[in-house]
Amino acid sequence: MYHLGLLWEYLKNYMKTRLTYRADFWVEVISDLLFQATNFIFIMVIFMHTESLGGWNQNEVVFVYGFFMVPFGVFSCFVNMWNFSERYIVKGEMDRVLTRPAHNLFQILLENVDPPSLIGSFIGLVIMAISGANLGLPFEWWTIPVLLLLTLSAVAIYTGIYTALTSLSFYSDAPTGILPLMYNIQNYGRYPVTIYNRAIQVLLTWIIPFAFVGIYPAALFLQRDEMRGMAILTPVVGAVFLSIGLLCWNYGVKRYKGAGS
Amino acid sequence: MNAIEVQDLRKTFKVQKNREGLKGAFADLFKRQYSEVTAVKDISFKIPEGEICGYIGENGAGKSTTIKMLTGILVPTSGQVSVGGFVPYMEREKFVQNIGVVFGQRSQLWWDIGVIESFQLLRKVYRVSEHDFKKRLDELVERLELQELLNRPVRKLSLGQRMRCELVAALLHNPSILFLDEPTIGLDIVVKSEIRDFLKDTNREHGTTILLTTHDLQDIEALCSRVIMLDDGRIIYDGGLEELKQRWGTGREVQFQFGAATRLAQLVQWTEGMPVTWTAENDLGAKVWIPLELNVSDVLARVVGAADITDIKIIETNTDEIVRSIYQSGSADKPEDKIAALQEEKEAAHV
Amino acid sequence: MSKSLEAGGSQENGKLLLLGAYFDFIRIRFLTMLAYRVNYYSGILIYTLNIGVNYFTWKAIYGGGESLGGFTSAQMTTYVAVSWMARAFYFNNLDREISSDIRDGSIAIQFIRPYNYVLVKMMQGLGEGLFRFLMLMIPGMVVAVLLFPVELPTDPAAWIGFLVMLFFSFLISSQINVITGLSAFFVENNEGVMRMKRVIVDLFSGLIVPISLFPGWLSSVLDVLPFQAITYLPGSVFTGRVQGVGIWNVLGIQVFWFLVLLIPIVWLYYAARKRLFVQGG
Repeated sequence: MYHLGLLWEYLKNYMKTRLTYRADFWVEVISDLLFQATNFIFIMVIFMHTESLGGWNQNEVVFVYGFFMVPFGVFSCFVNMWNFSERYIVKGEMDRVLTRPAHNLFQILLENVDPPSLIGSFIGLVIMAISGANLGLPFEWWTIPVLLLLTLSAVAIYTGIYTALTSLSFYSDAPTGILPLMYNIQNYGRYPVTIYNRAIQVLLTWIIPFAFVGIYPAALFLQRDEMRGMAILTPVVGAVFLSIGLLCWNYGVKRYKGAGS
Repeated sequence: MNAIEVQDLRKTFKVQKNREGLKGAFADLFKRQYSEVTAVKDISFKIPEGEICGYIGENGAGKSTTIKMLTGILVPTSGQVSVGGFVPYMEREKFVQNIGVVFGQRSQLWWDIGVIESFQLLRKVYRVSEHDFKKRLDELVERLELQELLNRPVRKLSLGQRMRCELVAALLHNPSILFLDEPTIGLDIVVKSEIRDFLKDTNREHGTTILLTTHDLQDIEALCSRVIMLDDGRIIYDGGLEELKQRWGTGREVQFQFGAATRLAQLVQWTEGMPVTWTAENDLGAKVWIPLELNVSDVLARVVGAADITDIKIIETNTDEIVRSIYQSGSADKPEDKIAALQEEKEAAHV
Repeated sequence: MSKSLEAGGSQENGKLLLLGAYFDFIRIRFLTMLAYRVNYYSGILIYTLNIGVNYFTWKAIYGGGESLGGFTSAQMTTYVAVSWMARAFYFNNLDREISSDIRDGSIAIQFIRPYNYVLVKMMQGLGEGLFRFLMLMIPGMVVAVLLFPVELPTDPAAWIGFLVMLFFSFLISSQINVITGLSAFFVENNEGVMRMKRVIVDLFSGLIVPISLFPGWLSSVLDVLPFQAITYLPGSVFTGRVQGVGIWNVLGIQVFWFLVLLIPIVWLYYAARKRLFVQGG
């Protein structure tokens, strides 16, 4: 309850800050949309030159893309740690966070909430609806609850991976450029992983499991039986990676407190 | 009861060594070298509740590291710390409810929103009830005259205004211990003295224990009954400010202005038999240096009766100078004592 | 007479010193990059992975067909590998560095120093690029050749042409970054602009999809934009799709864009100075 109350307070503050920079708000929304549009263009271009991508047709790939956008938007809204190293370690704001009575990671996440990202999630839902209709996918009683569960699991996977990577800032005194590179890689979870070779499949499934934020869970709605097992595994992978992320984080904080800056 | 207890506190950092030049940089890419630096070396002190204690030392003496250990930001390498009955780094979230922290060079307020919004948010973070919050805020706002500033965004405040708001932010939850790291840095004299008065009142009215680091010794003179002085990670002085002055002030100086020209030889003759030193400034002015063991009034009695005096000024050695000379010698023992101690050591070595 | 000679001499000397200072910016950035160990190791892994994923994606798209948009399957593999590796060289965060200098006000100090701020930034970018070229691009290319069926050009003209064009890729990409960064003077928060720039450069430079594969109307639009000069043109020379005199032509396009992009930079630079000194930031 305490944490929910805080979330609400921080969101209110976010809105107040944002209202002072109204133009920026729209620039951010538009740049987000443009980013999504370019990915979309890529899919369009691919299917100009081929009928299917590893056995998946255009509507299916677009549907996966739509699903991919949903958890990504939620994640970007609540877990936004791009400038963690610079702001909290280099500029020393971590010290302030550590003198306040709430969990440090929670405080940092709250201080960086980014609600415009949620617009991406809504667009993702629209894309799923349109391509789903094109494919004649059935809408079952379980569709919404399962969508919710899988979205949350995917958000947990993102959070776990990026929290673990961000906690590297506690070890390395240099700002890390891994996050933007990881950003490239996560996009590969949107395409049928079966087109890749074994090594990359294993990597995207078990090591940095971005296949679980796109293709696997989406396959459940597309009635792709070959990936059903993987889709059902999504919540488990989410729990495991979230735990790993939090462990790394707490360990990093412990180290920070041991080593200082 | 003691608000802060520190026993044999030590903090060692591993510092990465950068080898020089291109070759060194390539070597660093594959194998790093580290060296250990001990920032705080087994210090011990106790601060009773309700005391204002100054924590001073040159840059890099270990002040910030100590403060960070006391506030739970850093975990000590060894030794015990207890602050307000808590071990700071253990139950962090519970512990920080009792303390307030102001880092003079960093803001804890939100940059883009009105000051009052930051306060509201901190109220939630520290779980202060609406009633207590209102009471406390009104009191602080009135005391620091912040009424007009409350709705302004922090980035539009002057440094002095911001610092007053920082103090409010640190005190909203009525902490029993307040840590101030350079609270008056960069402020003008008027704001400095306002802040000093405010801190003194807070201490008196709420019994708040205050530990502050500063480079401005006037903060210390105005606020602190006690000083802890740090040099190279060790405490070199811990005690009252008066005692420090007495121990270190080697004497006083008296300036005379005369109504008629007075020769130096005459002055020396008047104080015959006293271990004082005269210097003439001009025909109508002279200074005399009087060592600590001699009463100023005895010297004055001799001169006042004999000379035509228009003005007398007694100058005490000020804290600035004392501290400067302590830093230079690296120990708060009196220079003579130190030399004596060194000699003893030497003699002991010879035996 | 002799006086004016002396003055001329000391001016020359001063110029040399300044040149030395600029060279130092390259060196220092190179050394700084060396210090970022984690970045270095992860960079190699991730660039290889990027090439791998793109290679397999294209393989799936080809699905046995021989030619797409004038690219054979082998050419596409080479194109993907060399494009990503070239990106390692020309990519930098000058836009971010410049706009954070502007936002925290430290640009004012930079502007009163006796050097040209934009030039210093370009030098730092070059230092970073040289580091990545030697430490990342070359080893990365070796790994890519071992792992994937990459066909290296046999014609020395292709090698030389590619390397010269790669340098211009760096110049043009950095110029775009400088323009994006300096825009922070005029937009309160240019985070969105920077993100847009990044996405647009990656897509429209031909890194993700070669320009000839875009629908006709889009590729004709991209033909008159500077982005293709960053990845697509040098990549075409390396894959041997452009040969002989054609190399001079595509190099000409790069030089043209390099010169054209100088105009907005100079304009922004003076507008920024004016804003800084006349209006006080």
